[in-house]
Amino acid sequence: MAVHHADNPADLSELLAQVRQGFVPAHVYNDEEIFSLEKERIFGRSWIFVAHESEIPSPGDYVVRRVLQDSFIVARGEDGVVRAMFNMCLHRGMQVCRAEMGNASHFRCPYHGWSYRNDGRLFGLPFHVEGYGGEEGFARHGQRLLPAPALDTYNGLIFVNLDPSPVPLRTYLGDYAYYLDLYTRQSPEGIELHGPQRWRIAANWKIGAENFAGDSYHTPQTHISVVEIGLFREPKANKRKEGALYWADVGGGTTYKLPSGTFEERLAYVGYPPEMVERMRRTWSERQRQMVSEDGFMVSASTLFPNLSLVHNWPRVTADEDRVYPFISLRTWQPISASETEVHSWFAVDVNAPQEFKERSYKAYLMCFGSSGMFEQDDVENWVSITATAGGAMARRLLLNSRMGLDAAGKPLHPPVAGYHGTGTAYVGYGEYNQRALLSRWADLLERPMPGMSRTTLGRRVAADEAGQGEGEDS
Amino acid sequence: MSAQVDRRQMPSLPFDDPRHLVASRFLVDEAYLLDRQRYEEWLSLLTDDVWYRMPVRVSTGRASGFDTSPGMDHFAEDRYMLERRVRRFLTEHAWTEDPPSRLRHHVTNIRTSPMQADDELFVESAVLLFRSRGDVQPPAFLSAGREDVLRRTDGGWRLARREVFVDESVLRMQNLAVFL
Repeated sequence: MAVHHADNPADLSELLAQVRQGFVPAHVYNDEEIFSLEKERIFGRSWIFVAHESEIPSPGDYVVRRVLQDSFIVARGEDGVVRAMFNMCLHRGMQVCRAEMGNASHFRCPYHGWSYRNDGRLFGLPFHVEGYGGEEGFARHGQRLLPAPALDTYNGLIFVNLDPSPVPLRTYLGDYAYYLDLYTRQSPEGIELHGPQRWRIAANWKIGAENFAGDSYHTPQTHISVVEIGLFREPKANKRKEGALYWADVGGGTTYKLPSGTFEERLAYVGYPPEMVERMRRTWSERQRQMVSEDGFMVSASTLFPNLSLVHNWPRVTADEDRVYPFISLRTWQPISASETEVHSWFAVDVNAPQEFKERSYKAYLMCFGSSGMFEQDDVENWVSITATAGGAMARRLLLNSRMGLDAAGKPLHPPVAGYHGTGTAYVGYGEYNQRALLSRWADLLERPMPGMSRTTLGRRVAADEAGQGEGEDS
Repeated sequence: MSAQVDRRQMPSLPFDDPRHLVASRFLVDEAYLLDRQRYEEWLSLLTDDVWYRMPVRVSTGRASGFDTSPGMDHFAEDRYMLERRVRRFLTEHAWTEDPPSRLRHHVTNIRTSPMQADDELFVESAVLLFRSRGDVQPPAFLSAGREDVLRRTDGGWRLARREVFVDESVLRMQNLAVFL
């Protein structure tokens, strides 16, 4: 088979064409050339999840989050507005915030003392008159930490985009918003997010994203141990394949097929107390309810392209054999290099859930996912091994088979689920539909060059409307 | 959970105090079991009401008054949870530890302090875990401080509470399929 060079457009197109067919050149999971294209063409223009509004509930609250190497202060200003500001002093480039969370009215650069309000506006400039000739010589007014080129929220989830004029987040989410609601809007007030746990794994970021998007097939093998110890009753091979795999515009996921029952009975089966079920019934659309009541599918793992994944499971967390408690985790696969990823894993729970439920659900999360989770432990072992092996010469000769669910001619083995109430397209049974959909989107973006970037000019008077939201009187 | 301990006012016992010798021996013997992944025996060293916690450390300003995540831990375990984790290692399908890691818990800086109850000791220690897997990846380290409560029972001294203050905000280890 051919050796590919990502820097040659013709070779790249050939590689991407194979990927779209479900033949994946193994080196894409550890290839510096591919990674540099991903940084520019995927992370440079996709909506990237950075935080949830519940992490910064009060004015002055902030967290510091990265998109690739770019550090952003995600802060709630005194006006209550959430902003993401590039964490680099306008003067000489020092990080103005070196903590990762806290509450602050201002961020003061430790280098020369320039300070910024928590909405990003430049506030203090030592020796402004003596050093710069005051406002006439250097206009402090209108200067601010560089805002993230675009910021938008959905259900309190804060996303930034390095593309200054992206499609609106809601448009980007498209039909996937239906599923995002099932995880993050079990009541109108939505989730509270705790965490994250952070750790680095020697794995390519795409492997986790693909796994959560559609790999129901690995569950009975990789995770057999958690069934054997009685933690989880679901992932037996026959049961797992009855779930639907859905792909909707910009994301996809796996589901479990529940035993027969009503909406209420099926949500009780996965461990939700009646008051939470009642809020879901009132909050979700008819079609969202019907995915549970008519189709009997319960969302499990999912990925929103490119690197936000979610998971919903319902293990036993006490000695009581009859009780399970569901939990929800959000996580990002933050690329460090072609062969290293920083995982940020959060615990999410409906803000209106009873306290006892929140505690048990947290316990369920810790046992299953995150840095110590018993599912995640074995996942990462696989991904680290794949990445190491993908870095060699032989991996350039191997096309991995990601064709499950297709016959030799590329036709789906089974038709999509008829009468499915969810959005997008769903298939029942094992298949790599979603991994192919995710990598096809990846391929489309990799193939499309970036338009030129614009620069900011420091010291230029910025028109009030250009200076952005929250611009008030300066002092 | 045992009574809250005020860490700041805790004088340590002389190193030749029998209670310090008891605590030191307990930690060294425990590390011996953990290095060999003899986890069932390790479980027998824990009280039934054991509380085992490893908060997530965060980088915060000095004035903020906190350096652990307000709502997140790497571990927050009762005995049931620890037993499930140990039970999993005893299956033949805990892939992440098969082949097993080579582990070494280096335990040092042990300080023992009396508690109000005669049958309890407050023990601080430092632990450096070296973990090597396979032959491709470099080894991983985890450095942490520990704050333990040991309790004397009819069967001998047991670990009743442990808080592990890991020294990294971002762990450089692929998972926590280990105990500290």
